[in-house]
Order: sequence, then structure tokens, then C-alpha cells
Amino acid sequence: MICKQAQEDLVGCWGCADELSSEILSHLEECEQCRHEALLLRETQVMLHSLPVERAPEGLTAQIMDRLPHEGQQAGWGERIARWLVPERRMQWGRAAALGAALAIAIAGGVYWYGQEQQTPLQEQVVATTPASETGGDERLAITDAELDELILKHQMLEMSQPLADDVGVGLVVYTSR
Amino acid sequence: MAKGTELSQSEIEAIVERAKKGDREAFGVLVDQYKDKIYNYVSRMLSDPYEAEDVTQEAFLRAYRSLPRFRGASSFHTWLYRIASNLAIDVVRKRKRSEPTFSIDEPLESEEGEYERELPSEDGGPEQRATTRETRLAVRRAIMDLPEKLRDVMILYELQGETYEDIAEILDVPLGTVKSRLFNARNRLKENLRSLVEAGEIEVGQ
Ligand SMILES: [Zn+2]
Repeated sequence: MICKQAQEDLVGCWGCADELSSEILSHLEECEQCRHEALLLRETQVMLHSLPVERAPEGLTAQIMDRLPHEGQQAGWGERIARWLVPERRMQWGRAAALGAALAIAIAGGVYWYGQEQQTPLQEQVVATTPASETGGDERLAITDAELDELILKHQMLEMSQPLADDVGVGLVVYTSR
Repeated sequence: MAKGTELSQSEIEAIVERAKKGDREAFGVLVDQYKDKIYNYVSRMLSDPYEAEDVTQEAFLRAYRSLPRFRGASSFHTWLYRIASNLAIDVVRKRKRSEPTFSIDEPLESEEGEYERELPSEDGGPEQRATTRETRLAVRRAIMDLPEKLRDVMILYELQGETYEDIAEILDVPLGTVKSRLFNARNRLKENLRSLVEAGEIEVGQ
């Protein structure tokens, strides 16, 4: 029992003796097993902290700055669509397959957009569809193929029944892609 | 503003305010200030320099897009870490789904070798360097063997020097959870390295 307590206390201070009670300290004097665990912990800590700091690659700041939207956060519709259609690094989740549908969305959406004097900024649509917007890192932003298919299908249905309807799904698709 | 200068908290807050209004130059200062920190963190989480670079870039891009909604309830740096953590965990989960047998026996390395971007460290001759290199590799593997939730806390606390309170905010978990995860992570890491240490295969430098 005392061994269990001793080994738990040792983990808390990486095997050092500084923060241990006198009871545990005197146990360590007579228990080889616990002394061995203390040594293991100390060695583990030394190894862990010997890992060097990895520095960001050269030119990372410039690369990031190049990829920032050019008109602040309120990047235009067209720009977002364009950025989505022209992947900067790699193709993801059947982007190519979705291209045709996305073009239809872009054209229909664009016509609506310019006709409405930007009364519903895209940013607001995005906020409305991303609950944890404050973190900026909502896992749900990583949309799955199935979700994308569903969104496109929903959009196409809406397109047919109400050609000028405001479809928040468009904002989500564009926004979540990189 | 000179590059690489450590900025005070109030200076950072002022720059964040400017960046929130769309000042790109101000945002560039923030990138410069935090890119090494974020890169090192993500790099330890993923053990792959290319993915680490991608995730670091994406974290800053998301931060830029989300800045107008950053209300300053937490500090900018915990907020940024939170974005990076979500993205890194996402990569870890995608790996699990696509490569269920992802093995850390062959850690992913860049062509130039795994340490080409490290800070220079004091070294003592080729033999000791080789031993140290193997030790580091073993430690990296042991870290990658931790479940991601434990790994996250371990890296943030032990390698990034974040406080319990900041980690709780970054990961959005109670303080007690941070402490218990850290306890478990230390224990697991010790066990992951036990056989190597006991067999004397790892040289522990000071
Ligand atoms: Zn004992």
C-alpha cells in the first residue's frame, strides 16, 4: 500500500525527493523497488526535456501572409469560391467530383449575391452554421464526403424550388474548404 | 517592430486589436511572434514536419479569419493554441481512420533528416551525438505512443511550458482533468521507456 502511494507521489515530482513526505522518504530508504521507480522517472524526465525545440521552417511567415484573404476578413464571394476551386496544396475529399456542383452553386449564388446589394454578408452566414466559431477550430468544419453530398443535394433541391433563396449551405461549403 | 523580439502582454493586445481591424502587417507580427511555438507544438503532436507545417499555416489562417469574433475572453496565445490543437487532433484522427496500423517504428522524417531545423545544441563528439540521436528518437516514439489526449497535455505542459490553467483553457477541460492526464501521461511515458532504460540501451545525458 505504501509502495503505491510512494510511486504516485513520485510521478507528481518526476521522481525527485523535494516534495515527498517524511513517511515516503523513509520508505524509499528501505524499498529498492520504489527507489528504482524514482530513478526511472528521473531518467524519463531528463530524456523528455532533452528534446530540442523545433523551429518553424524558413519563409513560413511569408507563406502564411500570401495566403491571407486580401480584403480583410470580409473576403468576397468570388474570392472564396476561387480559393476553393483552386486548391493551394492538395486535392481533398473528392473536391474534383464536387467541382461541377460547386460551379452551379457559385453562379447561382453569385447572381443572387450581386442582386441583393450584399445585405447578408457571407461571414454572417458562416457564423450561423458554425456553433463554436469563437475557437475558430471547430472540428465540424472538417466536413465529410457524406455531409458535402447532403449539402449539395439540399442546395440543388432548393435551387429547383426557390431559385433566389438564400442558402446558408453555400457559405458552409465554401468556408470549410481549403 | 524588430523580428524575433519578445513582446509584452500589453503590446500583444494592442497588435491583436489592430489585426482584428484587418491590419495585415499587425497580423504578420503575431505570426512571427508565435510561429515557432505553434510549429514546435504541432510537430511534437504529429511527428511529421510536413504535416506540422501545413497545420501551422492552417492554424494562422483560421485565426485570421476568426479574429473578428475573438472577444479576448482568453489570451490570444491560448486561443491560437486551441485552434492548432483542434487541427492537430483532427489530423491524428484522420490518420487513425485511414491508417489503422500507423506505426511509429518508422517515424516520418524529412529528407534532410529529422533535426535539420533544430536549434543548435551543445554537442560532444560524433559518438555522443549518435547516442543522443537514438535517445531522442526513442523519446519521440514513446511520446507518439501516448493516446492523443495524454500526448497533448504532456507536450503543452512539459515541452511548451504552459500552465495548468492555460492548458485547461486551450483544451476546454477542467483543471482536474489536466492534472490527471498529466499524471497518466508521465506514468505511461515512463512505462514506454522502461525496457529501454532498464536494458541500458538509452543513454541519459544531462
Ligand atoms: Zn515501495
